[in-house]
Amino acid sequence: MQHTKTRDAVTYQILVAAFLFVVLVIIVVPFWRVVVTAFTPLNIYTQQGVPFFLSPFDWTAEAFSQLLSHPLFPKAMLNSLIITIGGTAVSLVLTIPLAYGLSNRTLPGRRLILLFMLFTFLFQTGLVPVYLLVTGLKLTDNFLAIILPPAVSVYNTLVMMSFFEGIPQELKEAARLDGANELKVLLYVILPLSKPIVLTIGLFYAVYFWNEFFTPILYLNDNDLMPLPVLLRNILISASFNEYVEFNAFSSTSIESLKAAGVLLTMLPMLVVYPWIQRYFTKGTLLGGVKE
Amino acid sequence: MNSREIKMSTQNSIKGERKLKSKKTIWFVVVGLMLSALVAAACGPAALPAVDTGEVEAAREAAANAQATADAAVAALEAAAEGDQEARAELEAQLAEAQAALETAKAEAEAAKAEAEAAMAEAEGMSAAPAEPIDITLWSLATVTEAGPPPDDWVAYDIIRDELGINLKYVIIPPGGDGETKLNASAASNSLPDLFQLVTANRTELRNSLFRFYELGLLAPVDDLMPLMPERVKTHYNDPLLIDLVTFDGHQYGLPEPPAIPKREGLVIRKDWLDKLGLEAPTTLDELFEVAKAFTEQDPDGNGQNDTYGIGAFIEGPGVGRRFNYMFGAYGVPGVWNFNAPENFGLNVRNAQFPEAVAFLKKVVDEKVVDPDWPTLNKDEFRARWKQGRFGIMWEDFAALTNKSNYTPFDENFPEAEWIPLPAPTGPNGDAFYDVYVGTGQIFAMSQRAADEGKGEAIARLLEWMATDGYYLLGFGDEGVNFILTEDGNISVEGLDPAEAYNSPERQPYTQMRNQLIFYNTPAEINARYPTYETINGRTMEPMNFLGFFQEQPWVDGRAVQVIPAPDNAADFDRFYSEGIIQFVLGQKELNDDTWAEYLAGLDSLGAQEYEAAAKQAMEEAGLLK
Repeated sequence: MQHTKTRDAVTYQILVAAFLFVVLVIIVVPFWRVVVTAFTPLNIYTQQGVPFFLSPFDWTAEAFSQLLSHPLFPKAMLNSLIITIGGTAVSLVLTIPLAYGLSNRTLPGRRLILLFMLFTFLFQTGLVPVYLLVTGLKLTDNFLAIILPPAVSVYNTLVMMSFFEGIPQELKEAARLDGANELKVLLYVILPLSKPIVLTIGLFYAVYFWNEFFTPILYLNDNDLMPLPVLLRNILISASFNEYVEFNAFSSTSIESLKAAGVLLTMLPMLVVYPWIQRYFTKGTLLGGVKE
Repeated sequence: MNSREIKMSTQNSIKGERKLKSKKTIWFVVVGLMLSALVAAACGPAALPAVDTGEVEAAREAAANAQATADAAVAALEAAAEGDQEARAELEAQLAEAQAALETAKAEAEAAKAEAEAAMAEAEGMSAAPAEPIDITLWSLATVTEAGPPPDDWVAYDIIRDELGINLKYVIIPPGGDGETKLNASAASNSLPDLFQLVTANRTELRNSLFRFYELGLLAPVDDLMPLMPERVKTHYNDPLLIDLVTFDGHQYGLPEPPAIPKREGLVIRKDWLDKLGLEAPTTLDELFEVAKAFTEQDPDGNGQNDTYGIGAFIEGPGVGRRFNYMFGAYGVPGVWNFNAPENFGLNVRNAQFPEAVAFLKKVVDEKVVDPDWPTLNKDEFRARWKQGRFGIMWEDFAALTNKSNYTPFDENFPEAEWIPLPAPTGPNGDAFYDVYVGTGQIFAMSQRAADEGKGEAIARLLEWMATDGYYLLGFGDEGVNFILTEDGNISVEGLDPAEAYNSPERQPYTQMRNQLIFYNTPAEINARYPTYETINGRTMEPMNFLGFFQEQPWVDGRAVQVIPAPDNAADFDRFYSEGIIQFVLGQKELNDDTWAEYLAGLDSLGAQEYEAAAKQAMEEAGLLK
């Protein structure tokens, strides 16, 4: 019996590996296409389209240099960084105390607060009320209009809250006995234990703010404030409408290469950051989700 | 915590909240006082010259009175904050009174200030022009989206402020659905800009979008503005049909800017392939088929490989798309609606000639004389293919084909090749229509808020200036620096610093308004936008020749499509309409009288007749069906 069991296990392992390999191929092939497209020179593109394998001697970074040398690129990059860093900081500063407070089960009105939060999570108000609120607060043409409305994500708060709940009460009590107030408990006891969840949630927020495209369009009228995704989109619109635009700035690269290069460029920072933070992921979100 | 404690704490918190509320109202008063102080301070310098300052004094006095009232209110409120509940109602009344007084005082102070200023201006012998420039906010699309907006120190802003008395705030909005959402959000909050361009995801919906804003009462009629800008009306607003389209209930609510360039697409053929095979340029649909067959089978590029097709196309628009419309035009049924035969207005598929045209296209597909990837190609792939020499006959935009930056890759691949334009091919019954032109153009509108604030006249002044003195500045830049006006009125950059020339990438931010508000398709403009150049082997390439040829062809005027309201099930209807035709063409469904009748019945079950009736009614209401 034992023999068949191991054989079953081996078959199972092989099946799992095969399945994962297929998944890997499904993920890698389109990604590879995007990479090759971004590096395909114009003459090859116009003669044969995008080849699956591009000779190493033909690779050109022309599309990237076109995008990076755009006069508005540095400013857009800076705007994106401000929004991402500022937004993540504000979000964490608001989310952590909220989650910590709610993780205290004896908090009066806890259920009511949770209900309110869940309500906004389940039923969204739609665009217009938020727009009225933001314009009413005179936040147009201000990064706060991008940062403040989504500053506290209910989902992230709940995940963080259940992580905090999992931290043994005894630790907090010990700290309180030593004379620490709640702020000190949070700062010196809870946070050092919560690095995984803070980094994970921080990354969620950062990805959100980095990719944010729609609210800048809605609330920022000053084009100098536009972040990177908006600039990239503007460049791509120009490129794909080039029959109407007589002065084509992109005669040395194809539109498809530009699009692919744009995708890779916006993806890059997050791609770099992910592996650093990923090791906290399982600890962070999974532990946070498990309750006793 | 037991229930009693909870109750108590709730009561406490309610009390606290009340306290908080009164504190908040105190803040209101304080802020109000600060405001009034500000107003008074602003009045101070204005009143300095030796003109009658009595009014200002009076206003100050009123402000002081209001302050006293407010002070009393604050004192009372403080008392209230200590728990006196009864005085609350009285207090609120007092507060309201104080606030009203403040408002009056502020208004008085402002009026007095304006008067004092007028007096001052008079005293200094200034002109009658308003001393304070009027703020005008303008939202419009960009000409070159990637180039960004003009800088704040743009010379045009100064001229507009100094000569027109207008503080222009120019905002570039995104095209398509994003721009539509932005406009809708600002409409929903009743904060539409003073002058703005309508933006919709689908260009033929512009007029319907204007109508929706009109119905919501957000737009001001512009009838009164038209006489204030005589030159602009002559050059920009001279098409009665376009004016009709923006006129509701007898009043004009939109400013229809001329369409970018109408009738800009056409049929072209590879002349070098014709010459190689010893063929004549086709004039009928049957000849076109034979030429396409020869292009497919007789190796016109002479590379010894069977790698060419006669016709190239992709699906763009409803049905098989407008890249095939010349074939349907040869049967008298181009496009979705029969604008060419309006006496019996309706869908073209009702016409017995329509299935004949489908049958012709089916033959083209069956004989493989069209690049067989046409159902799945997108525009960029299609364009890459003609640059690769895949096919010799196609429907293409004149600039996408002949503009230097677009033509160069093809030129590098095939320096000996030459495309020439083809006239509309004639069908079996002698019909020949090139295509339907929609030419929706662009629509600007003035918000009701701007009219209420008395900005209409300034907007007209701005628009008229853009069509007269400001035309060259906003369209090209400074004469002699950014462009040169030749004797025959054309635009040239000869001898200019290339980085300063109007067509350099660096100059694009300065002429962002040109395709929206400035240009109206004069030959000089089009020449400047699509200049003549030499190909690699020295042939002269004149994009204007292609455009001129295309525009002379028999086009169907389909501009009225803008008034047709989309049905509620537009997505379903469009899908059924398009998929049905494509299935017939690809042979997935047999094409005969029965299956065609079935297809029409299917359309009817999706409300085709109601759609036609609604379309007809809308056309009649707009006075477009004669």
